[in-house]
Amino acid sequence: MTQPVLEVCGLTTHFFTRHGEVPAVRNVSFSLQAGEVLGLVGESGSGKSVTGFSILGLVDAPGRVVSGSVKLNGRELVGLPDAELRARRGLEISMIFQDPIATLNPMLSIGDQMRMALFAHEKLSLKAANARCIDLLRRVGITHPEAGLKAYPHEYSGGMRQRVAISIALLHNPSVIIADEPTTALDVSIQAQILTEMRDLVKETGTALIWISHDLAVVASLASRLAVMYRGEIIETGPTYEVLRNPSQDYTANLLAALPSNTEPGQLLAHGGQVPPVPPVREAGLLPEKGDFLNVSGANRVFSSNVSLGEKIAGLIGAGNQRPSTHAVKDVTLCVRRGEILGLVGESGSGKSTLGRLMAGILPPTSGQVLLDDAPVRHAGKKATLRIQTVFQDPFASLNPRMKVGHAIVEGALAHKLIKTPEASDYVQGWFERVGLEPEWAERYPHQFSGGQRQRVAIARALAMQPDVLICDEPVASLDVSIQAQIINLFLELQRGLGLTMVFISHDLSVVRHLSDRVAVMYLGEIVEIGTTEEIYNQPNHKYTKRLLDAIPVLDLN
Amino acid sequence: MSKSARAEFWDEFRENRIALFSLGLVGIITLAALFAPLIAPQDPYDLANLSLLDARRPPGFVGSGGYVHLLGTDPQGRDLASAILYGLRVSIQIGLAAGGVALMIGTCLGILAAYSGGRIEMTIMRVVDLQLSFPAILLALVLVAMLGQGKAQLIGALVAAQYAYFARTAYGAAKTERAKDYVEAALATPLSAGRVIWRHILPNCLPPLIVVATVQIANSISLEATLSFLGLGLPVTEPSLGMLISNGFRYMMSGRYWISVYPGIALIVLIVSINVVGDQIRDQLNPRLRK
Repeated sequence: MTQPVLEVCGLTTHFFTRHGEVPAVRNVSFSLQAGEVLGLVGESGSGKSVTGFSILGLVDAPGRVVSGSVKLNGRELVGLPDAELRARRGLEISMIFQDPIATLNPMLSIGDQMRMALFAHEKLSLKAANARCIDLLRRVGITHPEAGLKAYPHEYSGGMRQRVAISIALLHNPSVIIADEPTTALDVSIQAQILTEMRDLVKETGTALIWISHDLAVVASLASRLAVMYRGEIIETGPTYEVLRNPSQDYTANLLAALPSNTEPGQLLAHGGQVPPVPPVREAGLLPEKGDFLNVSGANRVFSSNVSLGEKIAGLIGAGNQRPSTHAVKDVTLCVRRGEILGLVGESGSGKSTLGRLMAGILPPTSGQVLLDDAPVRHAGKKATLRIQTVFQDPFASLNPRMKVGHAIVEGALAHKLIKTPEASDYVQGWFERVGLEPEWAERYPHQFSGGQRQRVAIARALAMQPDVLICDEPVASLDVSIQAQIINLFLELQRGLGLTMVFISHDLSVVRHLSDRVAVMYLGEIVEIGTTEEIYNQPNHKYTKRLLDAIPVLDLN
Repeated sequence: MSKSARAEFWDEFRENRIALFSLGLVGIITLAALFAPLIAPQDPYDLANLSLLDARRPPGFVGSGGYVHLLGTDPQGRDLASAILYGLRVSIQIGLAAGGVALMIGTCLGILAAYSGGRIEMTIMRVVDLQLSFPAILLALVLVAMLGQGKAQLIGALVAAQYAYFARTAYGAAKTERAKDYVEAALATPLSAGRVIWRHILPNCLPPLIVVATVQIANSISLEATLSFLGLGLPVTEPSLGMLISNGFRYMMSGRYWISVYPGIALIVLIVSINVVGDQIRDQLNPRLRK
């Protein structure tokens, strides 16, 4: 065997905080051969990103590499002075970050930024530099690379920007590239393109790649070797398919079992935690019958940009440039049946969240109407019904940070006199139990909960209004796989126990497949296809649906 | 804020020795002002106590009252130490009252503007912008000249001159909070506008408002002193710090420095320490300035 390009041995990084020393990376060791792709997977907080930063010497205070060694092409990196580390970064080892919007300087053209990275390590003429940049941009799949040099980052989409970031990482043909969740912020179809391109680039250039991701399916499609991180340690490592087929650690097995794509649709996910059976809250006679329930007919929503007085004047003298209005939802007609879960899928910008808000009565449609049991959901500029409630994507943003969670849960019910003040505390306890939280936590503030627990609080808050319809806008998108499994199980149990009608909005097709009875696919504001889950996933008719389904990385272990 | 967060805030505050010292000073000055009638050797408001024979005496002089005038006496024969203590009382009272009322009015207007948007936002904020383009002292001068002398009038003028700062701050904070998910969640419940503003938006706008409030209390105190110095503040029978400084101003060049200098020092110490405390609170509440 040849000498490895990167050898990490006993790497340990601690963070020295006000609350004491926190180990983020513990005793991590691995080595990387030229041209090899190592997948580093783990849930948030497992230390996978900090491992990447530690290798590059980019850990910011209060973090510090405490011990261990990192050998790049046989030379020790740990303990090198900053100037020498800088001389290696970009040249021998480089990094691709998660958010392409934050990593490119908005004030400099792409050509400027590429040349800057190039001149940092090499002296060459402007002409030669431009030629090299153009060549690289072409290789990462940017059309018209000559024009690209003059373009500014905002002129490019997220996927294009990530390609530019990749091309900058490749400039000096480094022996190792560390990619930290580079496709997490992108849509699935863009992710699929970038994954294919990365596979080719690695083959072509012989660069070793460390691909950090929380998504097992993405990693499996790219990496030849897999390292699973948990609480700062690599608990399992080996050839990708061996690890995935016969995980030696319980944690890895649980992680795999928690993936919705590995379970029969509609079944509770393994290791999703125990959910207490939900006692039905309504009288038997009121349980919903099947049939049309929530009707959206011909709904449109146009977001027109606010025109200020100055712009009006500019427009009058012919100096203004018209800002286009966005047609987010185009002529959508849709019915949700009683007691079903309707999945709403689409990529970012497809208008699925806006449609959800129209259905929930949060936004008024520009034209068309939304009816619940033949009554409009909005009346006189306000939401007119309590029977539709919403669960939002980010449980960190959707709870008032200065309100005790118990109070947040009963606030609406009290304000609308669904319950009386003396019953409030019992009511909170009841919902806490139903969503699987300890009743004594009612007195806590949101920041004292983890993401999964907060989402349970948000669900309890929506359910405490005793709705018939629950609109869930990407409720598991910001959660880790194992937490996601718990919340999905909770939704399944609650929906069965309470006879809820649900609209489940998500970009994650495997989650939607697992939960939904019917699925609607949205593309550019329109519903391009709607049908039962089996129909959509097994015989998609519309070409966009087919494309979307092809783009999902599937964990195929056979 | 939960208990632990409060304790943590205090722990961090304590780390800045200067801020801690300033907080102590503010506390001592406030207590001294509060208990002035008990501490001060003389009641400077009671003209029967004053004797012109004791006028303009240097520090350490034993007057007709039989006690030592620690900081000397003023041209009316007042004991300066007592006058300063009573003056601080007036200054702090006016600062707190003006700051508090301006805080309430400004916050209400700012949040109302941010929440309603459209014409209401436009009207309120343009008035505020217009007012912020005048120096506060100019506005206060005009108002005091129109309203006449007296505590209530003075507080009214200071409030009118200062509410705009609170309105701007509250507007900015509320505008940010308005766009957050939890407000949307509250509106989606649906909860009434009043409840959303009172229970959701307002508590989350408080941190920047607390910072502005500390600074503005110090500003009210110095504005009041300025007005009194110009002879527009309180009547001569109620000596405030500004008036004491003004009284001694004429004698500065004749060697009787103490009449102006000691009230001046008291004023500076009070304002600087309030500002230091305010700065530290701002640093702690502003996540961008945190390490």
